[in-house]
Amino acid sequence: MLMLPELIVIGTAFVLLFTDLFISDRQRPVLGALTLLGLGLAAGSVVWMMPESGQMFGGQFAVDSVAWWFKLLFLIAGIITVAISIDLLDGRAKSPKQRLGSPGEYYTILLFSLSGALFLVSSRDLVSLYVSLELITIPLYALTAWKRDGISGEAGLKYVILGALSSAFLLYGLGLVFGLTGETNLELIGKVLQPSPALWLAAAMITASVGFKLTIVPFHMWAAEVYQGAPTPITAYLSVASKAAGLALMFQLFYRVLGHYLVHWSVPLAIFAALTMTLGNIVAIVQQNVKRFMAFSAISQAGYVLMGFLGTTNEGVPAMIFYMLVYILTNLAAFAVIVLYSNQTGREEISEYRGLARTSPLVALALMIALFSLAGIPPLSGFVGKFFLFSIASQAGFHWLVTLAAVNSTISLYYYLRIIRQMYIEPAVEGDGAVPVTPVLALTVGLTTVAVMVLGIIPTFYETVYAQTVSWFLPFIK
Amino acid sequence: MGLLSWLILLPFLTAVAVMMVPAERWKMIRWISAAGTGLHLILTAITTYRYWQLASPEMAEMKTSLLTKLYLVEKFDWFPSLGIQYLVGTDGISMLMVILTSIIIFAGVMASWNVAERTKEFFVLLLTLVTGVFGVFLSFDLFLFFMFYEVAVLPMYLLIGIWGTGPKEYSAMKLTLMLLVGSAFILVGFLAIYHTSGLHTFDLTQLATIKYPADLQYWAFPALFIGFGVLGALYPFHTWSPDGHASAPTAVSMLHAGVLMKLGGYGALRIAVYLLPDGAKDWGLFFMVLTTINILYGSFGAIMQKDLKYFTAYSSVSHCGFVLFGVAALNLMGFKGAVLQMFSHGVMTGLFFALIGMVYGRTHTRVISEMGGLAKVMPWLAVSFYIAGLASLGLPGFSGFIAESHVFLGGFFGNPWANSTATRVLTVLATMSIVVTAVYVLRGLARVFQGPVEDHHFLELTDATFTERVSTGVLVATLAFAGIMPWFLIDLIEASIMPIVNRLHETGGSFAMY
Repeated sequence: MLMLPELIVIGTAFVLLFTDLFISDRQRPVLGALTLLGLGLAAGSVVWMMPESGQMFGGQFAVDSVAWWFKLLFLIAGIITVAISIDLLDGRAKSPKQRLGSPGEYYTILLFSLSGALFLVSSRDLVSLYVSLELITIPLYALTAWKRDGISGEAGLKYVILGALSSAFLLYGLGLVFGLTGETNLELIGKVLQPSPALWLAAAMITASVGFKLTIVPFHMWAAEVYQGAPTPITAYLSVASKAAGLALMFQLFYRVLGHYLVHWSVPLAIFAALTMTLGNIVAIVQQNVKRFMAFSAISQAGYVLMGFLGTTNEGVPAMIFYMLVYILTNLAAFAVIVLYSNQTGREEISEYRGLARTSPLVALALMIALFSLAGIPPLSGFVGKFFLFSIASQAGFHWLVTLAAVNSTISLYYYLRIIRQMYIEPAVEGDGAVPVTPVLALTVGLTTVAVMVLGIIPTFYETVYAQTVSWFLPFIK
Repeated sequence: MGLLSWLILLPFLTAVAVMMVPAERWKMIRWISAAGTGLHLILTAITTYRYWQLASPEMAEMKTSLLTKLYLVEKFDWFPSLGIQYLVGTDGISMLMVILTSIIIFAGVMASWNVAERTKEFFVLLLTLVTGVFGVFLSFDLFLFFMFYEVAVLPMYLLIGIWGTGPKEYSAMKLTLMLLVGSAFILVGFLAIYHTSGLHTFDLTQLATIKYPADLQYWAFPALFIGFGVLGALYPFHTWSPDGHASAPTAVSMLHAGVLMKLGGYGALRIAVYLLPDGAKDWGLFFMVLTTINILYGSFGAIMQKDLKYFTAYSSVSHCGFVLFGVAALNLMGFKGAVLQMFSHGVMTGLFFALIGMVYGRTHTRVISEMGGLAKVMPWLAVSFYIAGLASLGLPGFSGFIAESHVFLGGFFGNPWANSTATRVLTVLATMSIVVTAVYVLRGLARVFQGPVEDHHFLELTDATFTERVSTGVLVATLAFAGIMPWFLIDLIEASIMPIVNRLHETGGSFAMY
């Protein structure tokens, strides 16, 4: 029963795989609807079972408040990713170079990756933790290369090689931990772990691998090329779900296993956070391609999230989960507009967005709201999310980091304003009319934009996260 | 919903109403905006009257209090887990600032009657911006304050970028980024105060019950003062101001120089000095030096300008220096002067920028040397210009005189925690700027309006239209009212300033009342 969301997702994947064999090309659009239905049911089951905790298989698979929230985050990310993929897969994109083939396999593989993410937050064992992580990543290699052109293939290859390297690091690190403790259960490891030089080696290797997932500087090198080459919906998925998975992995390892040592991690984490947000922001300034640009923007966002780990306050947990929720919706709102625009025009350069506010004011408004929220402009939800994270860092005494982060938000505003300037101030391209909008994308853009606006104003969302997760990590720290 | 929430909400609702109108009907849009802001003016008058009714019996008590007492408070929990609430209220200082803003936005809408390009977006952004300004002046929860603060700053980018003139994109970006870096420092200060207090609330009146540790005060005060100072054009962080004002369209310059720059002085007084009095004592003299440079630098800068807008922008830097100078003086007279100067300069500079916009709309040049003899063709505008100019050089009878004399007296009595000779020398230096102001104002006015008509095309120009007369008339009347009957303003603010002074002295008003 506790595994219901995972079972629904995997079940849907198999149903899709077999349906795909028996239907004609004309009937293929049904696959997208089927995927959305499955994910919707899974999300519904998560919401239905939400704050209850429990375990299965002798504690190998367990759920608690934080696990449910992460599952909900992954499923929201999955639903929106599917929604922005549908037009590309059903051939509704005007620009031929954007189109994607084989919808059946695409959805199936995406769902497998998603099920890996769902298992990740529930696993309580080193082995299942590692397996679920690979289940997230390996399907993504294939999805990255889905377009089968030069740049997409190159992105896929890079991702495979670097991803395998990071997995190897993680495996080595986890192996060392097992060697030190003789346990594979995460909480037992936490209880018997003693400081030793080998532990530091293990921690360094695990950090590198988690950093790879979360695109923490200096482990971020793969992100820009992979994000640019991948099909745009997959870029969107990588930038949110893969990051949320990295964060979930950090929750598992840093809180559950290394909870006692959390206070010693504050300074290194603060330095990682500072490097990540600063480098991500500064490099984003010079980008011309909108997907590369979003890659660096996503890198800098990861830096902000890390601030939630500072100190030993238990308020970091709800702050990070809420920020992730906000970030997923905001980033996907931005990507939905990017997909919409490139579907119809094939344009992906920042300078090609010029005059969008004159030809399609609502589309431009949606993108502006999403970008302002990413920059942390009130009253949008991105501001509220960042404010809570900054508050954690301030509480832990890292005033220099808060200053740096707040200044970084201003730098990020500079480059987000570059797009807004193209849309609002520059004249439109000669002969451009309004961008045609398809119903699925219109709905996606509309809903995500509304969510971005209300999440920070209506307190219910944050207060619910807070009430359910604030005491979650207290057992791990004593 | 109480009066104050309506004051914040009304411009926003007007913006929503404007959004509903199709863009082709731009004449209707400006009527809606005028009606909305006119209604706001009436609502402000009602609120002021209500405030006066409630507060006047208690003013004597307020003067000895260590805590600001708020009136017409509306309060409910927003994010209770962090102690964030929706808390709006008003005291005399806030009330005066709301009156100022309400007048300026009304005059600003009247002065923007001829914005024909993308009218709808223009008014939506302008009204959104002013919603933020009212929010800042009325909110007493630091989170809410910060939220409105940024809402007030950001629309400026598009307003200048789209409807501006000259190097507008550069100016817009410079202005936005500098102001937001300033707000980054404010945010750091707020969070540090919140966590240090241990009260688990962002309520300003409750945070003011704590005496903060000296080390926090020592670093957080300059962070906050500089953060607000960026918006208040504190030297050397004023460089966004001349470019921004010169590039902005008329109503935006009016609102920005008239009201937004006051957010800086307001925040510095209300939050930096009030919450961190010991930090203020440590840093008072330092900031007094900076603001003296401000005052002199601005006025000398204005002498050198050839463009009317740059001319006024530099004079604004100088006049906003008076505001921060008064705040840094750390005594009652200085604070009163600072608040009066905020009001006075707001109205005066609003009038200046409105007039420049109107003149530019006719002559299509802002270069001083290309104009001449305009008084013959546009007497209304010329007379208004003279009044603004004379008010700015501190002629008795206008509000500028009252404000500046308070500020200088405050500076001369000096910061009680600093060397009194130093503050007196600084005050004397700052007073010199009045002479410089007289030079540039009189010379500029003479060049533009007196003498022979330079260009025969000017002879075909017309005087102010009806809406322009309303716009300038309202502002001139306000200047004269504040100059001739200043006690209305002083009574309004004095009782609300006393808690800030009392907190500096840590006693209930038993010290000298200068």
